[in-house]
Parts: sequence; C-alpha cells; structure tokens
Amino acid sequence: MTTFAEPQAQVRPPEPRTGRTVLLPFIAFAAALYVIGYAGEAGPVWGLLIGLSTFGLFWWIKVTRSFVDGIVLVVASTISYSMFNVVVASREIGVTSGLAFRAALPIAIIGIAAGWVTQRNSGGTRVSTIVISASAWAGGAYVALLTAVAVGVLDRVRPGQTTTQLLTFGLFIAVGVASGILGATTNVSFWLGKATPLAVGGGALVTILAWNEIGFSAYEIWVKLLNIGDFLGEFWPPQFTWPKSLGQPSSFNMGKALIETFQIAIVGATVGCFVAAPLSFMASRPTAPNAAVYWISKSFLNLVRTIPDLFWAVFFATAVGFGKPFAGALAMIMFSLAIMAKLLSETVDAIDLGPLEAARAAGATHGQVIARAAFPQVLPNFIAYGLYVFELNIRASVVIGFVGAGGIGRLLDERRQFFRWDEVMAIVLVIFAVVLVIEAVSIYARRRIA
Amino acid sequence: MTVPDLAPDAIPDMARPAEPLAPKVIKWAVTFGILIPFIWAVAGLEVSPSRMWAAPGQVWVLISGMFPPDFTEMGRLMTKLLESIYVAWIGTLIGAMFSFPAGFMAAANISPRWLVAPTRAILSAIRAFPELILAIIFIVPFGLGPFTGAMAIGLHSIGTLGKLTSEVIEGVDDGPLEAIGASGGTTMLRMRFGVVPQAMPNIVAYWLYRFEINVRASAVLGLVGAGGIGAEIVARLRFRGDWPKAGAALILTIVAVLVIDAASAAIRRRIITGQPSQSPISKWMTAITGSHRDPRLTADPS
Amino acid sequence: MSRIQFTGTTVTYPGGLTALKDVDLVIEEGEFVVIVGLSGAGKSTLLRSINGLVPVTGSVTVDGREVVGASNREIREIRSDVGMIFQTFNLVNRARVINNVLMGRLSMVPRWRSMFGLWPAHDKEIAMQSLERVGIVEKAYVRASDLSGGQQQRVGIARALAQEPKVILADEPVASLDPVTSHVVMRDLQRINRDLGITTIINLHFLDLARQYGQRLIGLKDGLLVFDGNIKDVDDDVFRGIYGRAITPDDLVEGRR
Ligand SMILES: Nc1ncnc2c1ncn2[C@@H]1O[C@H](COP(=O)(O)OP(=O)(O)OP(=O)(O)O)[C@@H](O)[C@H]1O
Ligand SMILES: [Mg+2]
Repeated sequence: MTTFAEPQAQVRPPEPRTGRTVLLPFIAFAAALYVIGYAGEAGPVWGLLIGLSTFGLFWWIKVTRSFVDGIVLVVASTISYSMFNVVVASREIGVTSGLAFRAALPIAIIGIAAGWVTQRNSGGTRVSTIVISASAWAGGAYVALLTAVAVGVLDRVRPGQTTTQLLTFGLFIAVGVASGILGATTNVSFWLGKATPLAVGGGALVTILAWNEIGFSAYEIWVKLLNIGDFLGEFWPPQFTWPKSLGQPSSFNMGKALIETFQIAIVGATVGCFVAAPLSFMASRPTAPNAAVYWISKSFLNLVRTIPDLFWAVFFATAVGFGKPFAGALAMIMFSLAIMAKLLSETVDAIDLGPLEAARAAGATHGQVIARAAFPQVLPNFIAYGLYVFELNIRASVVIGFVGAGGIGRLLDERRQFFRWDEVMAIVLVIFAVVLVIEAVSIYARRRIA
Repeated sequence: MTVPDLAPDAIPDMARPAEPLAPKVIKWAVTFGILIPFIWAVAGLEVSPSRMWAAPGQVWVLISGMFPPDFTEMGRLMTKLLESIYVAWIGTLIGAMFSFPAGFMAAANISPRWLVAPTRAILSAIRAFPELILAIIFIVPFGLGPFTGAMAIGLHSIGTLGKLTSEVIEGVDDGPLEAIGASGGTTMLRMRFGVVPQAMPNIVAYWLYRFEINVRASAVLGLVGAGGIGAEIVARLRFRGDWPKAGAALILTIVAVLVIDAASAAIRRRIITGQPSQSPISKWMTAITGSHRDPRLTADPS
Repeated sequence: MSRIQFTGTTVTYPGGLTALKDVDLVIEEGEFVVIVGLSGAGKSTLLRSINGLVPVTGSVTVDGREVVGASNREIREIRSDVGMIFQTFNLVNRARVINNVLMGRLSMVPRWRSMFGLWPAHDKEIAMQSLERVGIVEKAYVRASDLSGGQQQRVGIARALAQEPKVILADEPVASLDPVTSHVVMRDLQRINRDLGITTIINLHFLDLARQYGQRLIGLKDGLLVFDGNIKDVDDDVFRGIYGRAITPDDLVEGRR
C-alpha cells in the first residue's frame, strides 16, 4: 500500500482588507466626530478630540496600534486646532475666502501627522504620502470653510464675538467632519493601496457640501407634492392659441415657430456634420496628415465640446444680433460639430489601416487616401451619427430660443415671462410630441442602416 | 507534386455584370434628401451671403471684446461655479438613486413584460423633456434657485440613466443568473449576486459620465434663474463694457468643465478596466500611490 | 525600361532598428524575383523601400528615378508605376469590388473626381479589364467582404493591375490562403509577369512555392543580402545559409496540408 505524504500545513491567508471592510468604521468615525463637536468648547479641546478619534479609527482598522502614533496624532491635532482658532478669531468683518485659506492651513499639521503614521505603518518610504495627506486634510477644511462663506453663514459674524460664542458648533463640526472625512480616507487609501475609501469619502464630502449649499429638502418636495393640485391648476388646461406675440406680427403662431426650429436644426446638423467629417480625420492619429494638424484640430474639438449649447447661442446672439434665427443656426452648427466630431473620430481611430496603405502605395494623395480608403469605412456610422445629431439638434434648438436665438424656445421664454403657464404647457406639449416623433423616426432609420 | 489547375492560363470569356441600380438610386435619394431640406432651411432662415460674410467679423469683435478677461469678481464667480457643480452633483445623485431600480424594472431579462413596457415608456417620456423645460415647470412650485435646478437635472437624469442602466443589465452574461436560479436563488438574490457585480462598473461609469454632462447642463440653467454660472455669463454679455467679465466667467467654466471631464474620464477608465489610465498625470499618481502598496497588506490572492 | 537598382540601400526605422543594411542589387525589366528569409529578415522592408513606404537612405532607383529624397509628388509618380499586393489584401471591406479596384487608378484621375467617386469611363474600363485578367469580373458589384480569401486576393491583384504598373510588389501574397488557393494566386502572378512583362518581386515564406514559380531567388538574413542567383542553383545548403537551419515541413506549403 502506498502511503500518502503528510499533508503540508496549510496557512489560511488573512482576510484581505478591501474598501468595504473599512467602510463601517468610517461611518462610526464620522458619527463620532459629529457627536464630539457638541462636546468641544474651543479649538484645543476640539483638536484633542479629533486626534483621539482619528487614532481610534486607525486603531480599529489596524492601521496602527502603537501608542506613540496616538500621542503624535493627538498632539498634532491639538496644536493645529489651536492655530485654526486663532486665525478665525482674528477676523475683522465676516470670514472671507482669503481668511478661509489661512485658517485651513494649520489643519495640514494633522495631515502631516496622519500621513507620517500611515506611511510608517505601510512600509512605504515616500515623502509624498505626507504631502498629499497634508493637502487632503487642509483641503477638506478649506472647502468646508469656503462653502460656509458661499452660503453666507460667516458673513454675519460680527467682529467682537468670540469664536466659541458664535461659531463653535457649526463651524467646528463642518470643518472637522470635512477635513476628517477627506483626510482620513486619503490616509487609509494609501495604506490599502486602493482608491475606494477616498472615492467614497470624497463623494460623501461633496454630497454634504452640495446638500447644504442647495438647501435640498425632501420635506419640501413632499409638501409640494401634497399641494400638487394648486399648481397643476396653473398649467391646466393647456392654452394652444393666444392673441398676439410681442414684437411679432399676429401671424407668428406656434406652427411658424416650430418651422423655424426645424430649419435651425437642419442647417445646424447639415453644416456641422459636413464640417466635422474632415476635422475628425484630422483629429485621429492614423489619418492625420501630420502631428501639428492632429494636435491643433484635436484641441480645437476639445474646446468646442466643453462649451454647452446654450452658451454658443448666447455667444452668437450677442455677436450677430438678438432674436435672429441665424444666431441659432450658428450655435447649432458648433453644437453638431462637437458631437459629430467626437463620435466620428472615435470610429476613425478603429478603422482598418490596410486599405490606407494600399491607396498610398498606389500613389494616392493624402486627400485621396482619406476619401477613398478611410471614409468608405466609416460611411454607415457617419449617416447614423448624422441622424442622431439631427435628433439632438431638435431638442437643443428648442432650448436656444431662450437667449434670443430664434425658434419655438423664444415663444416659450416669452410666455413664461408673462406667467402664462397654461400657454407654456401647450408649447411644452408640442415640443414633447415633436421630440418623441423625431426620436422614433431617427431610431427606426438608424436601425435600417445598421 | 500535383497542382490542381484552377487558374486556366487562357482567360475565359466572362460576362461583365450590369451595374446594379439600387445603390445609385439610394445615393441620389440621400443627396437630394439632404440638399432640398437644407436649401429650404437656409432660405427660411434668411441666411444671405452678406450675413455669412459678416459673421466671422462680428464674432471676432465679441471675442476681442472679451479679452483680456476681467477676473476682479473671481470670488463671486467661483461661488457661482461651485453652485453649478453642486447642482450637477445632487442632480446626478438623484438620477442615480432613482434610475437604479428603474433600470432593473426596464430590463427585459430581469423583469416581467408588464413592468418593462410601462417603465420604458415613462423613462422615454422623461427623456423627451430637456432640463431647461423641466426647470421652467419646477420654478412654479419650488421657486427660483439651485434647488429647482437640481430637481430638473435629477429628473432628466433618471430618464437617461434609467435607459442606460437597463441596457447594461440586459447585456450581462446570464450564466451566473442561471447558476443562482438553479441553486434555488430568488429573483432578489439573482439581482444582488448575479446582475449587480457584473453590471455595477458600467453603471457607475455611466453615473460619472452623466455628471460630466450635468455640469454643462447646470451651467446653463442659470438662464431661467435656477442657479449657477450661466446667468453670470448671459448678464455680462448684455453690456459691452461687461464683456471682459463674461470672458472671465467663460474661461472659468471651460477650465472647470475640462478638469472635471478629465478626472471623470480617468476614473471611468479605471472602473471599467480595473487599470489605472496611462496618461502622464495618472502614471505620476501611480508612481506615488503604488510605492506605498505593501504586498503583505493588499488583497492580492496570488 | 523599368530597372530597379539598389545602391547601398539602408532602412532604419524610427525606433532605431536597422532592418535593411547596405544592400546592392539590380533587378532587370520583366524579371520574376522571389525573396526569401526568416521572419524579421527584412523582406517586407526591402519591398517597401522600392515605393518609399519606409524611411530609406542610400539609393533606390526605379526607371532611373530616385526614391530617396524624392518630393511627395515624385514619390507619388513612382508609386503610380509600382503596384503592390498585400498579405492581408488591404481591401475596403465595406466597399464594392469595383471601387476597390478603382483605387489603383487614384493617381491617374483628377483629384476632385476621385473625391466624389465620379470615375471617368476610361478608368472604369481599365478596372473591368483588370478584373477580367484575374477572372472574377462577375463579382464586380459585390461587397469585398462577401468574397472568399482567394477571391479577395485576386481583387488585390486587380487593384495593382489597374495601375497599369511596370512593377508589381507582392508581400507574402499567399500567406493567409490555403495551399490550393495559394497555387491559383501564384499562377495568376506568374501569368501576368509572362503576358504583360511586368517586373514582379514576391516575398514568400514557402520554399516549395519559391522553387516552383521563381526564376531568380534573393535571400535575406538579418537585413543583409546573403544570396542572389538562379533558382535552379539553389540547394539545401543555400537554404541553410539563408535560414540558419535545415528545411522543415513548416517551410513548405505542401507541408501544411
Ligand atoms: N514600422 C516599423 N517600425 C519599426 N520596426 C519595424 C517596422 N516594420 C518592421 N520593423 C522591424 O524591422 C525588421 C524587419 O521587418 P520586416 O517586416 O521587413 O521582416 P520580414 O522579413 O518581412 O518578416 P515577416 O516574414 O515576419 O513578414 C523586424 O525586426 C521588424 O520588427
Ligand atoms: Mg513581412
């Protein structure tokens, strides 16, 4: 009988630390900061507590269990918040963004300490951890302060008042939570070598700030929903005709405005797409004639893409005159150009380069290579994208009338300014129907081509 | 070595085929299908050559009027810009939150047909309203301000994200779904462990992508008083003396959008491929972060 | 007189790799030349130096016209006399066969006409005749992607013929075809060389094909010209010199069956 070898002692691997396993302690950490905020009376106390809870978090998720690290964190936080307090107290009138910056700087001291602790415990040797950690802690504080400035909370602070009297809770909580979330998630991300905690923490921070700024309230929505009948009455029944539009002959009705919208969309899509086609070939590596043309056209397209459709409309309305559909058409050309060029140049990037070489070997010029070997490869896509761009143009050209660029949008804006919500509703319904029909036709046609 | 004689040395008389008609007809039909409406539209818009001729000059007057940009109101502009970004963020959040279940309800491989059809209809109806129009309607109950903007952007995002989410869900590999079903898993379990892990990276990437779009959209909503930087630009363009300030606002917006786009694109690439992107900046970032990755601490199964 | 002359021809790629080293070679009009060598020996590079598709130094002349340092216009003129056939066919798959063949006429028709695809009748006639010569004219209005591999390569040959070239360069024209089709295509090329007197230079991987169809054989190794002579003088020793090893079944098209 054969004997089997003694089974080797198997070592179970430790459970890997993922973003998820550290998330729970983080929530507790944030809650702790919030609660502690009410206990703190002044800067140093608050700093002490921040240091303690940061160390608590680090202990919990096993970044460090050394008391030396704890002492470093607590001391650094206490110093840092004392300095913060001094800066905030030194203000004369409200808190300005310059003061916010100066106040946030000392928070970097905690960041340095926390960064040092993380990098010491993860075997890394780079100074950059400490630098990034410092900027994350200070950055969180700065953003929180900046939001406080933006919301206007700090404008009302009078010079004589002490920090503790007025600002303590709100300000310290905001700054502490913000810098704590951003800073600590950064540290832990470094320690894990994974970006998840930072992404979650950063996202949470932005959400909190945005929520405050916008004053978002589910309660308000709920109340409004309860009284939905009140404002539905304003919109219903829709009023499809009205006497005479301002500044227009009385014959200028919805049909005419709609036709204008269509015309704007057609001109925009046609010109935009046909200008975009050569540009896309110039902005794609395999078909660009040379590096200079490639970079110039690529940057140009990126720039055009950055600017929203409505800005183009304002821009051209200002340049060529308000209330002219011509301005709208120009805006739609830029809008179509941006979309078509983006879609098409991505397609061109993926074409088969063989035929291009064959054409070149047959003595073709660069233009001929593009026109006969490259363009036929993307022609079906070009047509499909063209239809899609036209569909988007109809939607967008509804909107650009708002800034005086013609079309049915102008009618909408005008009725809105008269608070004729029933007429607004009628226009909205017409737009809705047109958009749906165009979308259906475009989808059908695109399917036929593909 | 025998060679099959498939290519006879003499060229056989082979009939040339007649050129088929259909492609030609289609070619001309498409040409006229584009040309005729175009001419009609150009005529209707009174685009005369003289106006076309004048336009570049007029645009140049405007552009040169905006330079050098006047950044004296930087603080105020930053505040407005932040407001726009916040509106986009909350709008995206609303869109993500509600489109997630809606995407499941609209996915034909998960939901029953009686649920799929109406959900899809509702989503496409929502999509048909541009954000601006939604904002106009929401101003009535909610008043002027960023809150209205966030609601409008959020609602529109539900429509677009719902559709994209359902498409991602319909594209998942149904092998794991069957496996879970075969081991007695409920629909809920199949979604949680079969669909979500597969679809989540793409869905999150779409959220980020929507955020990029929403930043542009929220910049625009200021026009109807729904907060943000758009109103600044429009107001500054009214008076010629203010053009440099409009230029400053425009530049600020463009820079912000570019930065957000670049950051979001890098994150999306990382989510989808699981790899850091290869741009110089991200290489530099990995050089920094990667150096701290202690193999003993990370979750590498190998 | 379409004589091709290499004098001290060297090709160095942008990466710094020298793929062809100081080659001296003369190919006379109407010759049928086969180039063999290991993968990476520089066969493709040698072919492409003739029509200036690679960065070449030294001197290459076609018909007495210098390729090295030629202006864009001059290089296009040289290329219009040199047809090229590719291993992967390099057809526009979405386009019809006739349009692919007409790409060979690009250097002969006015630019604006070619841009809009308004081909002169004369050029269409040449394209049709080229298709007839390779025996697939009945496929003229079929999409290129709907053809078999062998048919696609014959479209590639027709495209080269449509240039009415003095020289044809074929870069492993049969490498992606099965043995039977390989012979069909090789015979097409041989016949074209014989009937039209077009100088033909072919890169081949397969030694039996080289033996069967070639007249003159050129061997390359690591970018150096290591053999140049009549195919009849080639024995296993010569092959060993070029390949650095004995012949294996992998080197024979029949061996793959
Ligand atoms: N565009 C290029 N850039 C840089 N190096 C290249 C390029 N094309 C070829 N080379 C290099 O030049 C050398 C010769 O390549 P070439 O294509 O001429 O070889 P070959 O003999 O045709 O090989 P094969 O039989 O595999 O086609 C190879 O080492 C190859 O890697
Ligand atoms: Mg080769």
